[in-house]
Amino acid sequence: MKSPNLLGAAALACSALVMAAPAYAHHSFAAEWDSTKCREFTGVLRKLDWQNPHPYFFVDVKENGKVEQWSFQAYSPVTLRRNGTDRQVFLDNVDKDVWIRGCLSKTGKPHAAAAGTLKFSDGVMRQVGQIQD
Amino acid sequence: MTTLHVRRALAALMFAVPLALCPAGGSAQGVPNQYTIKPLPPGGPTPRLPDGHPDFTGQWFPNGAGQGVSGRYGVDPAAIPQFDRKLSPEEPPQFRPEALAKIKSMTATELELSKSSVNCMPRGVPAIWLQNPYTTFIVHKPGLLAQLYEVLNNWRLIHTDGRPLPKSPEPFFHGNSTTRWEGDTLVVESIGFDERTYIMPNGWYHSDDLKVTERYTRPSMNYLIVEITVDDPKVLLKPWKSAPRRWTLGNGEIYEFYCTNNLELEELEKLRQQELQQKK
Repeated sequence: MKSPNLLGAAALACSALVMAAPAYAHHSFAAEWDSTKCREFTGVLRKLDWQNPHPYFFVDVKENGKVEQWSFQAYSPVTLRRNGTDRQVFLDNVDKDVWIRGCLSKTGKPHAAAAGTLKFSDGVMRQVGQIQD
Repeated sequence: MTTLHVRRALAALMFAVPLALCPAGGSAQGVPNQYTIKPLPPGGPTPRLPDGHPDFTGQWFPNGAGQGVSGRYGVDPAAIPQFDRKLSPEEPPQFRPEALAKIKSMTATELELSKSSVNCMPRGVPAIWLQNPYTTFIVHKPGLLAQLYEVLNNWRLIHTDGRPLPKSPEPFFHGNSTTRWEGDTLVVESIGFDERTYIMPNGWYHSDDLKVTERYTRPSMNYLIVEITVDDPKVLLKPWKSAPRRWTLGNGEIYEFYCTNNLELEELEKLRQQELQQKK
């Protein structure tokens, strides 16, 4: 899966403009995640842990010729259900390509990030967590 | 294209692309250029109980849309807030100096750890009406107002049979309540609160003298208005009154939300330890 091209960037910009912010940020994202260390990831979705308060999904990310598994935190299951990215959407995409933009942990926890947006192989841009950049 | 290029392109587009050019209805899907999630209209007349009082039964969303809005495309910005800060401005709380000093002494991580959205403690009253992004299901019948909070599967029974406040209240997260009707407004007064809750997720703690007054109205089928007064003379210089916050009627579906896998506490505790080291 390729990184988003300019069209993708435009779509993302538009989505940021029209996407609803939460009623208010009940979590302070910056307390735990580093908004200056956000990046893109591409890989294969391997596993989903669908629990409260946050689901985690696990992705085999191939970088520098090495495959390493990363965990990504998402919104709460209730929020994801209501925005159309429910558990079944993740399950339908296990063992398939995924693109994610997320931010790294402030503690430096290895291979852990908070996901903001993602795209499965259907190409739909989905917001699955707070967007920081 | 490198990540840097994408970020620069995004930054430029964020400012350069007029909103009108964006496919607001579905973003990358390219569906019609209009908001698909709009403010919910008032609906029909206020439903009423057999005794003539308003019936507050329903699933209530903390926004103007009557459905989830977080992370969704095509949401009319007018459908998001619970009140208009220009039309009904909300004064900030006036803290006693010692309370303000206590709040200001909290580190960023201590503040985060104090939040019920992070530590999975019950929000309690009145926070459940002030800092709750999830829905509340109300079942109302003569003599009883049952509030089923989606968040953390909490619930609260408010007896509306005129019973007085207890003389020696046990400290509860939701307090001990007595009610009365003032016309079509249900007034709920509560005392006796567990001191581990916060009024707002900004360090605003409360004392054992906290008294909360909730005022509920349902001016039409689709709207529930909740107004909160916080009276806490050990923490506040004067009582604080919220704006009338509007909740909108949903489709009745609430979900299970047991907080059983909270991995954030461990990370935040690491950060708190780092802060303590820096203080030394």
